[in-house]
Amino acid sequence: MEVEISRRRFLQGSVALSIVATSSTFGGTKPQDNTHMPANAYGITKTSTGGIEIPTLCEVCVNKCALLARVEKGVVTKLDPNPLFPKSKNMLCPRGNAGIQALYDPDRLKYPLIRSGEKGSGKFRRASWAEVNTYLQEKIVTILDEEKDNRSSFLFCAGEGMAEHTFKTFYQLFGSSNWLNHASLCLQTVVSAYGVTLGAYPFADLQNAQYVIMAGANRAEAIVTPDSTELFKKTQGRGAKLVYIDPRFTNTAAKADMWLPIKPGTDLAFVLALTYVVIQEKMYNLAYVETYFSDFEAYEEHILSHEYTPEWAENITGISAKQIREIAREFMLYAPKAIYYPGRRSTFSQSDFQLRRAMALFQALSGGIDTKGGLIFGKNLPLAEHEVSSPIYAQAKSRAIARKKNVKKGESGYEDCAIISGGGSWIGWRNRFLEGKMPYPVRGAFVYKHNPVLNMPNSAKSIEMLKKMDLVVVIDTMPSDTAMYADVILPECTYLERTDPVVSFAGAEPSIAQRNKVVDPMFESKPVREILNDLSHMISKPLFDVTKKYDEDVQAAIEESSEEEVYADFDISKAFEHSQEEANQAAVAKYAGAYETLCTKGVFYPEMERRFKAINANEFQYYPENEKAYSVQNGKPKTASGKIECKLSTMAEQGVDAMPTWHEAFAFSVPEGKFRLITGRHAQFTQSGTANNAMLRDLMDENYLWINASVAKKMKIRFGDTVEVSGKVGKTRLKAYPTEKIGHEVVFFVHGFGSESSALTLAYRQGANDNALIEDIIEPVYGSSIMHETNVEIKKV
Amino acid sequence: MAKYAMILNYKNCINCKACEVACKEENGIELGAKAHRIWVGTYEIEGKYPFLSIPSSTFYPSQCQHCANAPCEEVCPTHATYYDKNGVVQIDAQKCILCSYCMVACPYDARYVDTRTMSVDKCNFCSDTRLARGLKTTACQATCPTKVRIFGDMEDPNSEVSHILRTKEHFTLKAGIGTEPRLFYIK
Repeated sequence: MEVEISRRRFLQGSVALSIVATSSTFGGTKPQDNTHMPANAYGITKTSTGGIEIPTLCEVCVNKCALLARVEKGVVTKLDPNPLFPKSKNMLCPRGNAGIQALYDPDRLKYPLIRSGEKGSGKFRRASWAEVNTYLQEKIVTILDEEKDNRSSFLFCAGEGMAEHTFKTFYQLFGSSNWLNHASLCLQTVVSAYGVTLGAYPFADLQNAQYVIMAGANRAEAIVTPDSTELFKKTQGRGAKLVYIDPRFTNTAAKADMWLPIKPGTDLAFVLALTYVVIQEKMYNLAYVETYFSDFEAYEEHILSHEYTPEWAENITGISAKQIREIAREFMLYAPKAIYYPGRRSTFSQSDFQLRRAMALFQALSGGIDTKGGLIFGKNLPLAEHEVSSPIYAQAKSRAIARKKNVKKGESGYEDCAIISGGGSWIGWRNRFLEGKMPYPVRGAFVYKHNPVLNMPNSAKSIEMLKKMDLVVVIDTMPSDTAMYADVILPECTYLERTDPVVSFAGAEPSIAQRNKVVDPMFESKPVREILNDLSHMISKPLFDVTKKYDEDVQAAIEESSEEEVYADFDISKAFEHSQEEANQAAVAKYAGAYETLCTKGVFYPEMERRFKAINANEFQYYPENEKAYSVQNGKPKTASGKIECKLSTMAEQGVDAMPTWHEAFAFSVPEGKFRLITGRHAQFTQSGTANNAMLRDLMDENYLWINASVAKKMKIRFGDTVEVSGKVGKTRLKAYPTEKIGHEVVFFVHGFGSESSALTLAYRQGANDNALIEDIIEPVYGSSIMHETNVEIKKV
Repeated sequence: MAKYAMILNYKNCINCKACEVACKEENGIELGAKAHRIWVGTYEIEGKYPFLSIPSSTFYPSQCQHCANAPCEEVCPTHATYYDKNGVVQIDAQKCILCSYCMVACPYDARYVDTRTMSVDKCNFCSDTRLARGLKTTACQATCPTKVRIFGDMEDPNSEVSHILRTKEHFTLKAGIGTEPRLFYIK
């Protein structure tokens, strides 16, 4: 068969890089005169002791708070909040303060390492960058040659971070179609549910809200800026009423006006009952519903005909019908300055997507959308993106795990969930791999800033997956549990040692912020951009030679033009030809003076000099009140239809309920003698990433099992006793904390402990790993991992 | 010359311990010890699940109260504890003989032993660190996510602390014992 070949064939569109094509674009803007910044404006300043303060951004968690790093004689001696950033509002949490310990952690990855013992033995030998890149070149070329240039023979996975996109660019140009990230382990369901219902995952204007329902989001411990900073200055009779719903009495409960312990996984029934009350009593915002709702009548009929009454919900949730009625009425009374807080993080139960949909619809019924004190879309300061063409590899197979029409459950490549998101379903993918249900061999994995062994349910399976891979490359700053199963470890420098891609932060007070390098990388660590630049220079041409061998399109194209010309499209290294600094400069070129301001002050937004003002030593004005973007489209939803979507007919075709519906299977029940295990965050730790931080360990060095005090008494378990917790997929041991702050059928321990990596000398075997116990149950819509449906047994040791 | 004081909007406290870490990082506080310069006081919650008392779990950020009439200063046999010119209760580690009278005398349990210097240590309002650098805030104030603390000079009528003391109801800890703390809690 003759196919007409054109070189255009290889170009499958482009990858946004946020870099410029030529350096001539640089230097075109005149630095803005910043001499009129108020005296209290922070930025690069000399300290009285001869040190210097450099503005940068934290990366101990997802928030990216702005900070000033004090450097004295080349050593970072203190991290302080940078007051200029509207998102973090002059604060730095305990983890942000302890970031210095990440930089100076004696256990950090210092040199490239190549495995020298059995996989998982933790035995590695030090190698030079040149040696490790040569090693990788040989291994990758061999695998791709054996797999006939199927680039999808490699999996790429990443944790959250400002350089995640840089790593993703490498994946795209490498040509694989197997990409997995943290989304299905985190906020996929909530982001998607609000996305399809309101058209965006909104911000909560907690600064102006007067009534807040917070369920499944522990903002005093799982800190999110600016939410945590704003809300807790106002609760308990000081401006906002906080109704907090959680099976546990957390620090957020301690700051709430009302705490309602709910049976785990039954929040959907609670929200449906709230909705029933406001529909039945016609308390919703009629004007908003008439203008912006699509299929309201269907939803009304759905809620009423199913009789989602408060009395019905009382039995399911454990929250009294009287309280449900009161909360529904109060919410509508305070609306539109009332918020049902969307939350973030993990998927709790199989109903999670529908729960978030019901929450979004309930909020919309109040009219509290795109308005001050409600859920808002905010404004964004767009950055210029540069694109690089990415080639098509004819031999590269499509994503291994996908929902395909002809593929049935149990067949090769089948997917458990209804919809495939960009980040994929991590546990779905992993489990198919282990079941041998891949349509082709996936033999290697690049793992960036990601810890699959500890970050997703059923640790044993993640370990098995890594063991079965021929080549696991881990890029990280710490020798994590996952790094222990690597074949090659590439040491990334910490966030204080690198400049990262500039980021625009949307919201009522939008801004742009930049992570500036504070000190040079220690040891032989490098920013991921440099790691990938060096590696791509090493592998790009040899990999093209593999492509040339198997790809007939490429062979024909070379005949038509020249090898050199065709290779130009396949050169992976072109994505990294500019420095991060150059890329950032180009990304913000349209804002006069922005780049200079970002380098000297860390934060930029238009007319900052006029808008920014100190209110007192603690608080600052970023935008004058009348210039804040509370409302950007007069309440109109951001969906394609411009309406609030009550009914999702297209999703129904995928077997997803078109409207939030309660099913009997969602009910909470625990067999006699067992407990429901729930997990969560802690203000002093960020998942497993901070487990080895000496300063944070000084606050809490292990996790404890929360168990109801009366139950513990019956079981003769006292504080500090070691207990064994066992479930279907594993068991672990930790110390007990009997308390009244949790119900009789539920136990809890905080996530992020129980590391089995002996290279983490402080964290090694301290406390317990929740994911050793949590079953890998897949959420049906997006394939997220369900965190709160595992039952366990408790035994005193 | 100043009269330094601190106001605590303690109802804002979420017990995240950012203040404790900032203090340790700024002042080089010894790790591994149970006691240190600042802490958040908590109590065992009252009630039986699910009927729990929210006020019983209020968080009380605390530290040396910098008493104007400090029992620790009174009992110190070597004058290691003294008032500096700004009214801050200071310790001269060189003079300290670790007799621990001050630890017993302090009604606020604010003192602890630093095993490196073998002296009794406590909060000094970041005098030798931040204030010496010319900064106007203590480490705990600057970092606090919910802005619990406000530090300043109560001698200066235009200072924020003076303004708050004039306009907001406040109390001091163990007011009845006559120590005259310079830490004020907003009601």
